[in-house]
Amino acid sequence: MEVILYSTEECPFCQKARAFLSARDIGFREITSPPGSAVWNEMRKLTGSESLPQIVIGDRAIGGYADLVNLELTGKLEALLGAGVGKQQSSLYDVIIIGAGPAGLSAAIYTIRKMLKTLIISKDIGGQITWTSDVENYLGFSQVNAAELVTKFEDHVKKFNVEKVIGEEVSAVDLVGRRKRITTGDGKSYFGKTVIIATGGRHRPLNIPGERELLGKGVSYCSTCDAPLFRGADVAVVGGGNSALGAVVDLISIANRIYLVSLTALTGDPVYREKVLKSEKVEIFIEHQPTRVIGETMVEGLEFKSLITGELKAIAVEGVFVEIGIQPSTSLFLDILTTNEKGEILVDTECRTGLAGVFACGDVTTVPFKQVVVAVGEGSKAALSAYNYLMSQK
Amino acid sequence: MENKVKIYTTPTCHYCIQAKEYFTEKGIAFEAVDVLSDAEALKEMKSITGGARSVPVIAVNDAVIIGFDRDAVEKALKA
Repeated sequence: MEVILYSTEECPFCQKARAFLSARDIGFREITSPPGSAVWNEMRKLTGSESLPQIVIGDRAIGGYADLVNLELTGKLEALLGAGVGKQQSSLYDVIIIGAGPAGLSAAIYTIRKMLKTLIISKDIGGQITWTSDVENYLGFSQVNAAELVTKFEDHVKKFNVEKVIGEEVSAVDLVGRRKRITTGDGKSYFGKTVIIATGGRHRPLNIPGERELLGKGVSYCSTCDAPLFRGADVAVVGGGNSALGAVVDLISIANRIYLVSLTALTGDPVYREKVLKSEKVEIFIEHQPTRVIGETMVEGLEFKSLITGELKAIAVEGVFVEIGIQPSTSLFLDILTTNEKGEILVDTECRTGLAGVFACGDVTTVPFKQVVVAVGEGSKAALSAYNYLMSQK
Repeated sequence: MENKVKIYTTPTCHYCIQAKEYFTEKGIAFEAVDVLSDAEALKEMKSITGGARSVPVIAVNDAVIIGFDRDAVEKALKA
């Protein structure tokens, strides 16, 4: 189906229409039609309108730029264009899953088994689970190495030959309208009828002086990876939840002395708390806030202040393990989706975000309890919701 | 030119495994050392990084990258 764009060089909506068509790989013939010219008269006859731009698809005059956008939003543009126009037609996925942690991979298993054309886009595989050593609370595995569990997840997905783009970060999204566009850092665009956001979270930084400068030089967000390098050293762990206590437990057998600095009382599981409180190697500072990582080229200490008295203290340590939870990876979605004060995407009980065809699951959402088993469950829910949505559209 | 790649790892570090998988998939030969069991390798890792205490450290020819940063690795491979 031929697409004709009647335009003039400078009119802003002509430029928008041009960009709209180009962005979607829709080939078009542009006819410059200054008002009063012969072609403009021709256009007027054909479309019944004098304003620019005018877009004609085949023998049908569809109107201006707003009409073009409207057609896409109502899902009618594709039908008008017909098959074969625009290369994207063949690569239109039923579901694009962003993220390949437990939530994203679980969603993929469900969508592929529903025979949905599925694509996973993610910078890496495994998500936060790769930061832990052992998982002891995943049903069916009394104790499993986290890396092993990720490999099992990956193998499971591989068995179904799900298409994957791994290693590229998503740089832009266009989620409004019936056809969603996901663009990756290398400039490639992927189109989907639905999108499942499973981008999880990243380590929350302390945002204090010295932290960024000394990252890798004693400051670590992955105690599982780096703890073994601090044999016999004095170290600090910042945080009071499960990941912080887990880091302390790992370090008890490695480090010489461990200072645990927490803003609040310890909130981690009693199993961890007991081990931490029992160890003579551990000194605990609760209701203290880190203020500075000390050191020039290497970590030499940590400064923190009491939230009660305001008193500043400094300890000499070679390592600072930051384990204060995660921040959701939602920067791409903040403008278009509803988020809470933490930046988590608000979802209903069926993982719907409020935007038609857009679902979210796992740690990136407001669903409480950031656990592997929760993420896996939420992933399957998002997939089934996407499936229901697609069925309702047919 | 053949790229010379060396990866400094610990056994519990999943990013190290991912880094190794990355080079295997690309068909690029690499040497992997465990800095926990190999004191010499730990010394070497610290000296080339100016004292890093974080794994993986990936040396690609003359470039030294702390952490598995794909972009940085790709840049170093092309350099």
